[in-house]
Amino acid sequence: MRRIALLSLAHDRGKLVASLAGVAFAATLVVGQIGLYVGFLESSSAVVRHAGGDVWVMARGTAVVDNGERLSAGSRAIVASHPCVARVRALVMAFLPLRKPDGSLEAVQVVGYEPVADPVLPWSLARGLPQDLHGPGRVAIDGLDVRKLQIGAEPLGAVLTVGTEEVYVAAVTRGIRAFTLAPYVFAEIDTARRLARMGGDQAYFWLADLARPECRDDVIAAVKRHGDLDAHAREEFRRMTENYWVAGSGAGTALGFSALLGLVVGAVIVGQTLYAVTKEHLRELATLKAIGATPGEVVSFVTWQAAVLACVGGGLGFLFAYLLATGTAGVGLVIVLSPTVLLIGAGAVLTMCTVAAIWSIRAVLTLEAAEVFR
Amino acid sequence: MSDVLVRASDVEKTYGSGELAVPVLKRISLEVRAGALVLLMGPSGSGKTTLVSVLAGLLRPTAGHVELCGARISELSESKVAAVRRRHLGFVFQSYNLFPALSALDNVAEVLRMKGFAPREAEQRAADALDRVGLGDRRTHRPGELSGGQKQRVAIARALAGDPALIFGDEVTAALDTRTALKVMELLRAQVTPGRAILIVTHDRRLEQYADHVIGLEDGSVVESKRSAPDAAQAGAMT
Repeated sequence: MRRIALLSLAHDRGKLVASLAGVAFAATLVVGQIGLYVGFLESSSAVVRHAGGDVWVMARGTAVVDNGERLSAGSRAIVASHPCVARVRALVMAFLPLRKPDGSLEAVQVVGYEPVADPVLPWSLARGLPQDLHGPGRVAIDGLDVRKLQIGAEPLGAVLTVGTEEVYVAAVTRGIRAFTLAPYVFAEIDTARRLARMGGDQAYFWLADLARPECRDDVIAAVKRHGDLDAHAREEFRRMTENYWVAGSGAGTALGFSALLGLVVGAVIVGQTLYAVTKEHLRELATLKAIGATPGEVVSFVTWQAAVLACVGGGLGFLFAYLLATGTAGVGLVIVLSPTVLLIGAGAVLTMCTVAAIWSIRAVLTLEAAEVFR
Repeated sequence: MSDVLVRASDVEKTYGSGELAVPVLKRISLEVRAGALVLLMGPSGSGKTTLVSVLAGLLRPTAGHVELCGARISELSESKVAAVRRRHLGFVFQSYNLFPALSALDNVAEVLRMKGFAPREAEQRAADALDRVGLGDRRTHRPGELSGGQKQRVAIARALAGDPALIFGDEVTAALDTRTALKVMELLRAQVTPGRAILIVTHDRRLEQYADHVIGLEDGSVVESKRSAPDAAQAGAMT
């Protein structure tokens, strides 16, 4: 039956191409939307993931990495006083105005960090080295923001006015774009504090690296005993940040709706084609039933066709999604095609084709063999 | 298996129920024996199609019994009746019912594979069957590349390839010109063997010359049952 099913499907090239296009479209849309969703999640929490730290300490009520408040030097001492804490690092996340060459203002997010061997900030350096950022007034920006910040063809060495201070670009990162769309300006902690007009020992977050990770909950509890401080494990704060931006902004819902729409459109196209091919062959299928084909054999006529459409169309869709992800990376749109995303996409396409095949399966199951004599 | 391939006893078939009940077959009894070509004739609406569907196990009678190739199919489950058809029956139809995407060889071989033959054997048997109907040189042609008569011969090859005891035909010549129709009937006539019978539903009186027995049907009842061919003494149908 497999041979009959596949040859019959291939016989009408027009319908085959339309079906494959439908499945590929749906697969591209589904995988693209899921990949975009994961990309949004990763973009929104990129600093949390890359800055490290077992426990993040912040002002009470802070729900997202981009909305931190200034913490005093005393709070650093509180964190460092816990015996499990091996190291405390300061992190500044401050929105500041940047004056562009044409005189207009652009909000940027200054990320100030204490340089350590591990983890390294900023990550993904395209030009320059981490040590190029040592010293006052040196910053790194992303290649995607060069045009937005009206920097010339050669970003290295360009002078930027952030707030009232002048800094110059000493390194360029690749593909780091904030969910807020405010360009990141990476700087060592002293430069960041100077730009944000902060005191010498202030920060927006304290990142505690623990000597013994098993006492993480104890460190968090100890910090929380201080009324104006809050603390979260890094993974928890990552999730909080992702939920704040992606779920809170409605972006997740919009992407999910688009993916669902893609599945519905794909199911209709595939279902219509499978049904048309099945309907065209009802007499022949009735003949097979008359000759003694079992319901399973007749149903396999549809299931083989659905399986081929799912595999070939889905494969094409994944290829298009890959090309889309590669093409959009250059403009800062992150589409993550991880194994999990591809697995979810494959499951969605398979489900879509199964649903699309139901009408045809019903048609062949209710087909009476006696039809052959009518 | 006895030489009675089909035996219908007091078969009735009624569509609908109550006041809307339409009796289509009325107490029909008949036998088809091996070695005969039997024609089932009658005007439109006489119940021919329903009768042949009931005899082939495609429809269940409302009353009465049908014995097909030794199995009392009116008392068997759908799957067991399908198994009887798979093992013993072949079908030929007016509109051929060939898969347009498959070559003549594949149209025959795929049915054999479905019947359980190994792919190689199925292909060999299919090729032999096409040779027997004179289409050895058209194996790779698809139905769309064949004439009506050739398509019908492929359908006959498909019916014959599984070596069935009984072949049912439905208006097998209706779509063919006279010359081709008579050739097809000659071909079918040649397939009747001591172990095989062919039952054909038709309107076409010209086909009587090939039949051993003709059963006339009108308003759901057998109105005529006659031996037809010169050698009808050996014919195998009676009512």
